[in-house]
Amino acid sequence: METAELQDKIFAFVEAAKGKKKLKEKDIIKGVSAEQNVPGDDVKKAMRAMIDVGRLMYSYGGGASSVEIPSEEYLREKGLIK
Amino acid sequence: MKKYNTPLIDQLEKGPWPSFVTEMKKAGKTNEMANDAVGHLEKCYTTKMGYWKHGGIVGVLGYGGGVIGRYSEIGDEFPGVAHFHTVRLNQPSGFFYTSKALREICDIWDKYGSGLTNVHGSTGDLVLLGTKTDALEAIFAEYSSRGWDLGSSGSALRTPSCCVGPGRCEWTMYDTLGLNYALTQEFQDEMHRPTFSYKFKIKSSGCACDCVASIARADMSIIGTWKGDIQIDQNEVKNYASKMNINAEIINMCPTQCMSYDGKELKINNAECSRCMHCIAKMTKALKPGKERGATICIGSKAPIVVGSLLSWVIVPFIKIEEPYTEVKELIRKIWDWWDENAKPRERIGEVIEMKGMRSFLEAIGVPPMPQQIKEPRKDPFMFYTEDDIASYKAKEAEEKKTGKYKF
Repeated sequence: METAELQDKIFAFVEAAKGKKKLKEKDIIKGVSAEQNVPGDDVKKAMRAMIDVGRLMYSYGGGASSVEIPSEEYLREKGLIK
Repeated sequence: MKKYNTPLIDQLEKGPWPSFVTEMKKAGKTNEMANDAVGHLEKCYTTKMGYWKHGGIVGVLGYGGGVIGRYSEIGDEFPGVAHFHTVRLNQPSGFFYTSKALREICDIWDKYGSGLTNVHGSTGDLVLLGTKTDALEAIFAEYSSRGWDLGSSGSALRTPSCCVGPGRCEWTMYDTLGLNYALTQEFQDEMHRPTFSYKFKIKSSGCACDCVASIARADMSIIGTWKGDIQIDQNEVKNYASKMNINAEIINMCPTQCMSYDGKELKINNAECSRCMHCIAKMTKALKPGKERGATICIGSKAPIVVGSLLSWVIVPFIKIEEPYTEVKELIRKIWDWWDENAKPRERIGEVIEMKGMRSFLEAIGVPPMPQQIKEPRKDPFMFYTEDDIASYKAKEAEEKKTGKYKF
């Protein structure tokens, strides 16, 4: 699977959990890997590339970290949108 | 700059000791954030309320930790502390700095933050107190351009820390500075990209004096120890006898009572010694640790957050700690794998071991059971019986019942 396509699958996976479950990195790696039948390392690399450019982001709440879709406010703060 | 009336926190400036309030006020003369922090603190004391909220989504792009979001509920009243985020800087091993480096850190912090610092936070990082969200990327860019990196926070490997080790201490049983540096380099990903169920701390102490309190404050405590006999210089023992009461201060305070002194010769029953360092630390010229040196690895200590506090538990009684530290790194990865498989969110490894049992943990990480792993003295250690053991025991018991040899 091409990286861009895999990243879309990852994004969809995170979007589906929005408001229902806080996803750890490992949840996404395991979930997408099983769903798409691709190696976990590929999912990890693709996901981290998304985090590096602000398509996904790390969040923190209740003592634990998770991965989420960034808000517009966050993207504006990081200068990724105007 | 607004001037706050602070009768309550002024009380904390009295007395001969240094006062954090005095320092905050000094910073507040030139920095609005620090000035509002003073007013905010007085308000907290007056109303007996803390107005801080923490957490949320603050950080630098690509990193999942290093910045802890702090906000005040009364930011309208104290706009300088409406955002007052904490920034953690990865400290050098052993907390060694040049004065130039400290000036550089403080100059950048004066430019972007409140000017207040906390050297060091209990995790070990150099902690910079109070900045705004929109300054974070600039802060990170300036520090990283000078070779500094953010520390860790969240569900990640927290910035590893260690004692001064061979840099300033003759008792260190291994190179704590070298190990700490190697682990920090090796596990950059685990520090900056939170993948765990909760935090994981590694602290390295060169000896059982445990200057970084690893036994109580690290999920993984790597504490220097030795094999073999404590080295005794009887001539120096005589010198100590002329200025201290060896029986009262050393012999009677030995936790395992493995020492004796008859006024002429100091004797140690090394088989009974628990390597606590008390005698060595009190009679530095007369006693030295044994020559074969390494570390004990313990697991699981934590402060009481989800459940009660725990102290670390020995899993590897003795291991040589030598470059490139492959054995330690591999052990850490195995520990994380087991923890990841078994932990729910916000469960520290010590808690998971309490729930799942040391047996399954040791089996998973490939460490054999050993007498030194006993958790508390004079309590039964965990017994590892396989199903075959139980079957053969039952067969033997049945046989003894038949022949009349069985006794309950």
